[in-house]
Amino acid sequence: MAEALPKPVPRLLSSPSRRQFLYRLGAIGGVGAVMAGLEAFGMSVASAQTAPPALTGSGAGKRVVIIGAGVGGMTAAYELSKLGYQCQIIEARSFAGGRCQTARAGFSLTELGGEAQHCTFDDGQYINHGPWRIPFNHQSTLHYTKEFGVPLEVMVNDNDASYVLFEGGSGPLAGQPVRKAQVAADMRGHTAELLAKAVRGNRLDVPLSAEDQEVFVSYLVREGYLSSRDLSYSGADGRGYDLWPGALTEPGPGRLSTPFPMADVLHSKAWRTLRSVAGFSQQRTMFQPVGGMDRIAAGFAAKVGHMIQYGTVVERIDQDDHGVDVAWVHAAGQRGTTKANYCVCTIPLSVLRHIEAALPDATKQAMSAVAYQPVGKIGLQMKRRFWEEDHFIFGGHVYTDNEDIGSLSLPSWDWQGAKGTVLGYYQFDAAAIKVSAMTPAERAEFATAFGQKVFPQYRENVEKSFSVAWHRVQYNMGGWAEWDEEGRRTAYPVLCQPAGRIYLAGEHLSYLTGWQAGAIESAWLQIAKLHHQASA
Amino acid sequence: MPAHVVIAGCALAGLLLAGPAWAADPAGEGLFVANCSACHQRNGQGIPQAFPALAGDKLVQDDPKRIVAVLLNGRGGMPAFKTQLIDEQIAAVASYVRGAWGNHADPVPAGLVAAARTEAAAPVADRGLQAH
Repeated sequence: MAEALPKPVPRLLSSPSRRQFLYRLGAIGGVGAVMAGLEAFGMSVASAQTAPPALTGSGAGKRVVIIGAGVGGMTAAYELSKLGYQCQIIEARSFAGGRCQTARAGFSLTELGGEAQHCTFDDGQYINHGPWRIPFNHQSTLHYTKEFGVPLEVMVNDNDASYVLFEGGSGPLAGQPVRKAQVAADMRGHTAELLAKAVRGNRLDVPLSAEDQEVFVSYLVREGYLSSRDLSYSGADGRGYDLWPGALTEPGPGRLSTPFPMADVLHSKAWRTLRSVAGFSQQRTMFQPVGGMDRIAAGFAAKVGHMIQYGTVVERIDQDDHGVDVAWVHAAGQRGTTKANYCVCTIPLSVLRHIEAALPDATKQAMSAVAYQPVGKIGLQMKRRFWEEDHFIFGGHVYTDNEDIGSLSLPSWDWQGAKGTVLGYYQFDAAAIKVSAMTPAERAEFATAFGQKVFPQYRENVEKSFSVAWHRVQYNMGGWAEWDEEGRRTAYPVLCQPAGRIYLAGEHLSYLTGWQAGAIESAWLQIAKLHHQASA
Repeated sequence: MPAHVVIAGCALAGLLLAGPAWAADPAGEGLFVANCSACHQRNGQGIPQAFPALAGDKLVQDDPKRIVAVLLNGRGGMPAFKTQLIDEQIAAVASYVRGAWGNHADPVPAGLVAAARTEAAAPVADRGLQAH
């Protein structure tokens, strides 16, 4: 490892004490000043969300140490190298990608306080236990999948045919798996009927002219599949058939299904799965890399892998007016220091706050202000794809009000294949903490017991499992940063500013927390600032 | 109410009849094992550089309002339990932690949790169906 390290950076004779240096940091202008400076340099960041900043000039002769070979760190290394900077990435793990991981045969994980898990999935089976979706509006992530030639496929992020299982309600639908299309058709149909009849009968004080009221009623008729004759809702073919239509006379036209009474849907609380439109980050088109999310990590590593020093844990970060010293210990026990002019530090704040670092007190205080999200996921390898073969569900999620499960998800890859791997749960917060107290075998049993309520074929098909509790994963200590309003207002801006020669980056320094796009875009903006400082 | 709360609530009913021996109470211990031990470990020792030890910890044995506030609202990497556990459960788990592994602090009455809950009635965020 030692020979791969960059040569020491020459130091000027008189360096100020750390105290003097940190004191001077306070005099550095805010982000706005830096951005204005970037504009003056012709380094516009207006398009930062869709492409890397267009930086000019050269970083030749300058060294940057990047801590963390996750997506953010590798983005910084890749783009800074293009400018001529000499980059060295220090990575605690034996592989690149950070949280961008995929569990397949050969992958191992030992959570803090947990037993070792070795993934033994069959060839071709995998679970994206870290990031698993790429929304179409994450143009930064898509910039690199295109640049690195990482093939994408559509991830089914909403499936009308999938089930909803709500156990906390009441009435005949509570605790029953119900197709999402039926919940949606009936809730919206009944609602449209009530509203249309109220408008037509002048029982609502609506701020619409008589003409507009008629247009509104026309909309409701279309929206809810109402009878234009009496504005009643009596079902819609989209909610499905009791007997599917087909050929000749049997089944011929088939037999439409009958709507659930509105009260039954209301009491089941399954309507909680309905929103007018999916949230911005959850909309179609949703993508995933063919073969697993870690193909993105591999795409980056193909470009910057030679800069990565693996198995190296940072012990201390020092800086003065001239450079940054990163002291580390290698897995083999060897200690060393990497010296550079600048540092891009992508260590999650949940971990960085335990590392001795020459950061201003305000930065340290700000780091402690952010919470990290406990997250749990489990992959269950199934002997056959009964959800496709017996239930005609191809991808998508099963929603539930059981917070300890969160949601269950069906794979959007290898359609009609022999086997498949299901995401058995995906939970957050205190629920994730609770489930993580179980052993891997207990987690698999817990997930299986729930799945059995949705699919009668579930238990008999579970053959292998692999689970993760991100809050117990060393070097991460949480799924992602969870900022509250107060933290965004006070701590976040402090962390966005360079701390002397140290630039923090990662999903935690974005409004896209928990997304690879947040890591990429924070790296883009921070290296633009770094380049500006280095070019001054 | 989620099923697990109902189940834990039944265990708690037995606990309430059992008298004031909070520290040794199996319900408090059970709640701790289920909700806390994943990080703080069953022996309360935590994991260095990751999860704080509760055995011998000052905050835990300080004014009970402090541990109750942390349990209700979370802190750092620890999530809020205010929607997961009812007042009696928070009191039971706090009492267990304050009396286990050599800790020597008074048990926490449920009324104190109720009062703290009213003080810090922050709205629960609507996460939506999916995240990330």
